Amino acid sequence: MGAGREVAISLDGVRDKNVMQLKKLNTALFPVRYNDKYYADALASGEFTKLAYYSDICVGSIACRLEKKEGGAIRVYIMTLGVLAPYRGLGIGTKLLNHVLDLCSKQNIPEIYLHVQTNNEDAINFYKKFGFEITETIKNYYTNIEPPDCFVVTKFITPSQVKK
Amino acid sequence: MGASLPPKEANLFKLIVKSYETKQYKKGLKAADAILKKFPDHGETLSMKGLTLNCMDRKTEAYELVRLGVKNDVKSHVCWHVFGLLHRSDRDYREAIKCYRIALKSDPDNIEILRDLSLLQAQMRDLTGFVETRQQLLTLKPNHRMNWIGFAVAHHLNSNAAKAVEILEAYEGTLEDDYPPDNERCEHGEMLLYKISLLEECGFLERALEELHKKEPKIVDKLTYKEQEVSLLVKLGRLEDGANIYKILLTMNPDNYRYYEGLQRCFGLHTENGKYSSDEIDRLDALYRSLAQQYTWSSAVKRIPLDFLQGDKFREAAFNYIKPLLTKGVPSLFSDLSPLYDHPGKADILEQLILELEHSIRTTGTYPDRTEKEPPSTLLWTFFFLAQHYDRRGQYDVALSKIDEAIQHTPTVIDLYSVKSRIMKHAGDLVAAASLADEARCMDLADRYINSESVKRMLQADQVALAEKTAVLFTKDGDQHNNLHDMQCMWYELASGESYFRQGDLGRALKKFLAVEKHYADITEDQFDFHSYCLRKMTLRAYVEMLKFQDRLHSHAYFHKAAAGAIRCYLKLYDSPLNSPAEEEDDASKTPSQKKKMKKQRKAERAKKEAEDKIEESSASGVSKSGKRHVKPVDPDPYGEKLLKTEDPLSEATKYLKLLQKNSPDSSETHLLSFEVNMRKQKILLAFQAVKQLLRLDAENPDSHGCLIKFFHKVGSMPDPVTDGETLVWSVLEAERPSISQLQEKTLGEANEIFLGRHEDSLMHRVAVAEMLYTLEPTKKLEAIKLIEDSTNKVVPTDGALGPVSEWKLKDCVAVHKLLEKVLIDHDAALRWKVRCAEYFPYSTYFEGRRSSAVYNVLNNQVSKTPVSGGTSHPEISQGANSIISNGKLEAFKNLTI
Repeated sequence: MGAGREVAISLDGVRDKNVMQLKKLNTALFPVRYNDKYYADALASGEFTKLAYYSDICVGSIACRLEKKEGGAIRVYIMTLGVLAPYRGLGIGTKLLNHVLDLCSKQNIPEIYLHVQTNNEDAINFYKKFGFEITETIKNYYTNIEPPDCFVVTKFITPSQVKK
Repeated sequence: MGASLPPKEANLFKLIVKSYETKQYKKGLKAADAILKKFPDHGETLSMKGLTLNCMDRKTEAYELVRLGVKNDVKSHVCWHVFGLLHRSDRDYREAIKCYRIALKSDPDNIEILRDLSLLQAQMRDLTGFVETRQQLLTLKPNHRMNWIGFAVAHHLNSNAAKAVEILEAYEGTLEDDYPPDNERCEHGEMLLYKISLLEECGFLERALEELHKKEPKIVDKLTYKEQEVSLLVKLGRLEDGANIYKILLTMNPDNYRYYEGLQRCFGLHTENGKYSSDEIDRLDALYRSLAQQYTWSSAVKRIPLDFLQGDKFREAAFNYIKPLLTKGVPSLFSDLSPLYDHPGKADILEQLILELEHSIRTTGTYPDRTEKEPPSTLLWTFFFLAQHYDRRGQYDVALSKIDEAIQHTPTVIDLYSVKSRIMKHAGDLVAAASLADEARCMDLADRYINSESVKRMLQADQVALAEKTAVLFTKDGDQHNNLHDMQCMWYELASGESYFRQGDLGRALKKFLAVEKHYADITEDQFDFHSYCLRKMTLRAYVEMLKFQDRLHSHAYFHKAAAGAIRCYLKLYDSPLNSPAEEEDDASKTPSQKKKMKKQRKAERAKKEAEDKIEESSASGVSKSGKRHVKPVDPDPYGEKLLKTEDPLSEATKYLKLLQKNSPDSSETHLLSFEVNMRKQKILLAFQAVKQLLRLDAENPDSHGCLIKFFHKVGSMPDPVTDGETLVWSVLEAERPSISQLQEKTLGEANEIFLGRHEDSLMHRVAVAEMLYTLEPTKKLEAIKLIEDSTNKVVPTDGALGPVSEWKLKDCVAVHKLLEKVLIDHDAALRWKVRCAEYFPYSTYFEGRRSSAVYNVLNNQVSKTPVSGGTSHPEISQGANSIISNGKLEAFKNLTI
């Protein structure tokens, strides 16, 4: 961020009217094409899926799925989190992730997790900063990219812990 | 009224009138029938029954009864008044006026009839009649404010503003000193402002200013007060005072361009053409520098200097103007600056300047003269500007590469796709343009503007069905296509009419064009209610302005397009009469499956329409006060089949031609159409008039030349005159021909050659000459074709840094191809032309250029296979090398749905 130039970063929800923005981001950011279920889950998650706007430009997103565990408890699965390359390093990813973490603690959701490709050190370090830890390794998780293995990265939230 | 009836029936008659006024038509009808049982010939009752039936949508009966009523009681003013109302409800104002006049003969002081008459006279611009009627009304009821005002306005409209002032002053004389009461201050203030504007119009400037100052406390509209004051001061030559007022106005609104213009006038620094001496430029520069310090929030004060500054000063100012706007991200920046592209040299300066910015941001992330880092979006907006810049200069390749860079940088900005769509349109690939506009639309389904834009592109690409489906997404009822007509959505109707015309569906094309014509008739009609409303509400300045606007309504561009479109349809219909609209000239090019599809579609639409009509019938509504109908009549001819069955397409065309001649006399298209229509009608003198008009507008225009030669060629080949009429025509032409300089003592062939000599380098002039060569001597066809083919497409010299621009326009080249194909009928030459143009216009689908979607799609039919995943998660930092960027690329279209 340049000295003195404060550009407002705001979050907005995803609705059927603007879901194409999320699709555009995913096309640009990720090497896979997401299916309809992904978008249905994202829309269904409500506040847990957000677009990030840099002044008026949509530049990043976080998309989550709410999962029910056996006992009826809910956990959050982060399907995607990404920011367009030119807009990285401006705290936009942090803002998106913090938004979801805050929601979790407000709604007493104890667990939030995601998958990361094993060689993606930048990402692993990014999540570790927020208190995530590697909880599992899955072999041959991906079918079309190398390496095919991934880590499961999880953060357990106790309501008092996250309240900043 | 009802005087000749016994008391019981007379009361019943009063009941009819009352029921009519309160819209209780059934009750009125009952009463009427009760009277008619006893007095079946009672004229006034028959008339009132007719009038009532008219409101119940039984028009034929209504006319019969009213006519019978008049016949039975020809002296009754009631009967004639009713007859007038009937005509008025059918918008037949001339007849209505006649009826009112007759009614007034037997009852000259009937206020209601007089008032109705005055409204019609205002509507029909029978201004002398309007003045008379208004005078009568005032004499009869001088205690009504409205009658004074009406009389004054009537004189004003009748070009007697001075008289209008006198009347208003006489009216003021009748008012108490403490007038107006609080609840009428606005109305009174408006009246005063109107009076002052009249004084100004009469040239009584001193008096107007004095009056303005005197009445200041009573004028509510302070802004208009100031604007009126400054206008008077400037006209009186009190420029210093004027300048001061303009400065006050600028503090109220520092972005009003008219105030800046006025201020310049006060300083003697204003010219109509925007050209200034270098001394004047320096003074203007100084003026705007000081204004900029005063009105720091104004964007106008920063933008205006770009218009008059030149050279290095322009460069510096443009630099300072553009930089913050790129940083901020103002998508309209290019449209804001685009008028500068008409100033010689400025486009080149802008190009250099933006390229410099682009280079600097790309390499250092800062502007050249700064150390401060720009936000990442600045580069995006710089690409965006450059793309539009190269598009404007016709360098579509560069424009596309710039917009692609922008899309790659930030694929979520909708404007990028809209601009890419526009570039594709200019480059000649309408299909790709439509797809891109649709891609933009999908990115924000709640935005009506981009929805409309994509509809327009679809229509330009002749995808009418898809366009309709898309347009309907934003109409009120969701599925009622008709709604677009009710909303007077003219751009849509025009674009869709033009598309149908291109596809040879003349019936539907005519439907659409005539629908637009109907809107203009409706707009004319709409003023009717204001004749009484504005007098009552005292919005007199706005009222008079509205009337003036109405007087030149048909000169509006949309009307011009619609009328020209309709005339072209009728010309085509005359040239190749057809059996049914489906079997068209272009039919040969349609595959049987397409035809089948069209038929099927029509059937489905018809069924749907019928269903809708049923609903409408059941909810038929009443009639408004003014007697106008709100029930939507069922369209009995949704495909324009009946329109096509017209006996005499040329006389239909003439109707619209007359409107064009009256309202767009300075458009060469008007006279070209007049030439085509009148030549076909064998109206030699009218065609000759068209030729003379064309020569007047632009004698060097290829079309003007073509018409001139064609005309005299045709005349020369006609048999000698036989009738007196023909002889007269001949003698006129003989007298006129020497006055046409192009033809003086020359044969047509010579004139044609001389014309070629003057314009040897211009494609379209050569083509016109070639066509005329062939017309004059069909044996010289090969020579004509050679003349066309020998034309060279020169490169326009630009100082631009990137790529050359060729001179020929795509539109012209398409026209040449059609000429070779259809007029000169040489398929080989047409093919050669096509191959040649495909080189010049690689994006053109018409010429099947190698980069157009016509070709491109075939090559890229395989969509790149990408893994589908609903569960994998990806971290913030993605592997850029792996990502597939298909945003804004043609392959992506297939995945888009409405």
